[in-house]
Amino acid sequence: MDTSEIASDAKPETVVVPMSKPLLQRLVPYLLIAPTLILVFTFTIWPVTQTIQASMHEPGRATRDDAGRRVPGEPTFVGVDNYTALFDSTHFLGRRFPRVLTNTIFFTTATVVVGLPLALGFALLINRPMRGLGLWRFGFFYTVLLPLIGAANIWAFMFANTTGVINTVLGAFGISGQDWLGNPQLVIFSLVLVNIWKQTGFFMIFYLAALQNTPRDIYEAAELDGGGYFTTLYYLTLPLLRRTSLFLVIVSSTYAFQTVEQLEALNRGQPADRGNLLLYFIFQNLGSSSNMGYVNAMTVILIGLLLVFTVSNFIVFEGRSEDE
Amino acid sequence: MRYIVRLIALGIVAALLAVVPATMSQDDDVVINFYWASAVEGDLPGIFADYAAQFEAENPGVTINPVYTGTYTQTRDTILAEGDSPLVDVAIMLATDMYTFIDDSYIIPLNSFIDEMEDGEAWFDDFFPAFWANSIDPAGNVWSVSFQRSTPIMFYNADLFAEEGIEVPTNNEELIAAAQALHTSDRDGLQIPVAGNFPIWMFQSFANAYGAPLTDGDPTQVTFNAPETLEALEFLTRIGMSVEDGGFGVGPMGGSAWGETPSAFVAGQAAMIYHTIGSLTNILQSADFEVGLSFLPSGPAGEDGTGYGSPTGGGNLYIFDDGSKSEAELQAAWDWVVFLSSAEIQSDWGAATGYIASRISSWEIEPLLSLTEEFPQYAVARDQLDFAYEEFTAYRSVEIQNIINFELSNVISGSVSLDEAASVLENAQAQIDGLLEEFN
Repeated sequence: MDTSEIASDAKPETVVVPMSKPLLQRLVPYLLIAPTLILVFTFTIWPVTQTIQASMHEPGRATRDDAGRRVPGEPTFVGVDNYTALFDSTHFLGRRFPRVLTNTIFFTTATVVVGLPLALGFALLINRPMRGLGLWRFGFFYTVLLPLIGAANIWAFMFANTTGVINTVLGAFGISGQDWLGNPQLVIFSLVLVNIWKQTGFFMIFYLAALQNTPRDIYEAAELDGGGYFTTLYYLTLPLLRRTSLFLVIVSSTYAFQTVEQLEALNRGQPADRGNLLLYFIFQNLGSSSNMGYVNAMTVILIGLLLVFTVSNFIVFEGRSEDE
Repeated sequence: MRYIVRLIALGIVAALLAVVPATMSQDDDVVINFYWASAVEGDLPGIFADYAAQFEAENPGVTINPVYTGTYTQTRDTILAEGDSPLVDVAIMLATDMYTFIDDSYIIPLNSFIDEMEDGEAWFDDFFPAFWANSIDPAGNVWSVSFQRSTPIMFYNADLFAEEGIEVPTNNEELIAAAQALHTSDRDGLQIPVAGNFPIWMFQSFANAYGAPLTDGDPTQVTFNAPETLEALEFLTRIGMSVEDGGFGVGPMGGSAWGETPSAFVAGQAAMIYHTIGSLTNILQSADFEVGLSFLPSGPAGEDGTGYGSPTGGGNLYIFDDGSKSEAELQAAWDWVVFLSSAEIQSDWGAATGYIASRISSWEIEPLLSLTEEFPQYAVARDQLDFAYEEFTAYRSVEIQNIINFELSNVISGSVSLDEAASVLENAQAQIDGLLEEFN
């Protein structure tokens, strides 16, 4: 049947032009998003814009006029000089920054690559009926409840070179202890260990919730088809957990980039920046007005890294999701 | 709608109630915002509240508003973050921050206040001269007044020394000999806390003792590449290196951590340690052996024991003014500085915290007088001041200290070998000279 005929034979409908909505009604959507917009602008867009602008300036030095009044210095535009200085090995920050950047990327990657599979493993382990289930779940989760600075202090006590628990236990077995936070080759691994210990329970809860929301009938069907545990895990569970994993990769990497407290309590970035991370390094260089151009440049790099990390994860995970 | 109008009206009234008393107190009183930082524990807010009450009773019309601003670093960052006209009037800041605040015109010189004092000269002379070194610029301007000062000192396990029949070392050779004699598989002979992010303080004592102070009164000059500096660094690094690797084998490789060092000492896991005098009270309370204190052993500089190299440390009182403060406000700020640095308060503060009281006369009055009679160890740091050097300070102090701390950590931790140490110091010197170029 030719539908165009019906269309041409049909009586033309009267087009009713709606009267313009009252002003208030038209404004409602804007009013509703206004608080969020104001907050996002005030606490995100405006500071980021200011930071980017300051990263391209050299701060001016304040002086005093004849009456003794303080006259703030005028910043000078320097383009990308503050950025290039950070990678110039003859510059006082350029000698250190690349190492700190490498540490941060390693720390973040290690936390994600080791921490998330561990969290998934724990979730799979306790997502089944077993004796003392509540105790197991609490055992895996309690590290999340500890304040970060408190947890770091516990580890400072564990890692202590001469009086620490780990070296004392090792010594009891005749094994010589290690300088966990003072050895340049070991320190970054010690920091990764503490971070994984602290965060894994938190990530586990998300995996556990996702596992408990997966439909049972799919698993029953897989069982009927003769799928073994690992086959089911690989072909069913992991794809079903993809969205959760995307969320956790972004959250865990963001947390890793933001690590400050545990460095303050454990090693303060030492020795020789082998145990230093980007945000803590920025914090360490705050104490001078003259440094603010570099500090802002480092902050922009940190924000950029986080953006790249987040967007690339979206592309990888979402792209694979659409393929299937 | 009526409800919303009522709510807004209530909010306005509440805001007025909050603002009006503050405005009234501003009309009546001069309010001094006093930012304080400290590196020791105790009921310090309570003590400052008492001091403020005492001062306010003696100075009607002045209100002291003590604000705890965290560590020295946090206090400095807070003031810088407050922008061009910070709220602070008086602050306790590191003695080493002087040129940072001079350079950005935050603080004011105090000479005119001292000149107007009836007994200004006697007042000035009653402070230990070593402490003034970090307060006065080469032109003679006084920028700060000592409040809570410290110095590194050597703590030793006196019982162990008596058991082994070893004399307390007075120079570096004796120090290593004693450390090697007392070093066992479960006890370090000597721990020096240079593993943290602040090795520069302890290192200064070696650089000074080797005859190459990092700074010498001129804030535009810093020396980090002298042959003596390298010798001092090699000596300090070898303390933690094994004998097989050419070290003395008497302490942890890379030095000990700051907070761990007193714990290791009181636990009997270190026979001798270098630490701040501020740790004395805690160590005396925790150790179950007799705690001995001595000057840091001397190095090759000078002769007959004159190569002592201990720097001073701790915090001074600064007055902040962007030029907008009234004479009454500045006078009240100065009066508060004079009050806090009085012999009575210094005696009390020193006894309460373990900091070295800055006034000579404060050691002759209570409570410090009784304390030093009961624990003569407190007086050792005071007596060491006769040989003390200024603490590191220069223009671009924060950046230069970061450079020096980083390179010291590189060498001491073994990240860079001793063979490469000379070039590391040269590179660092080039960076430092670059930063100071604009001041020369």
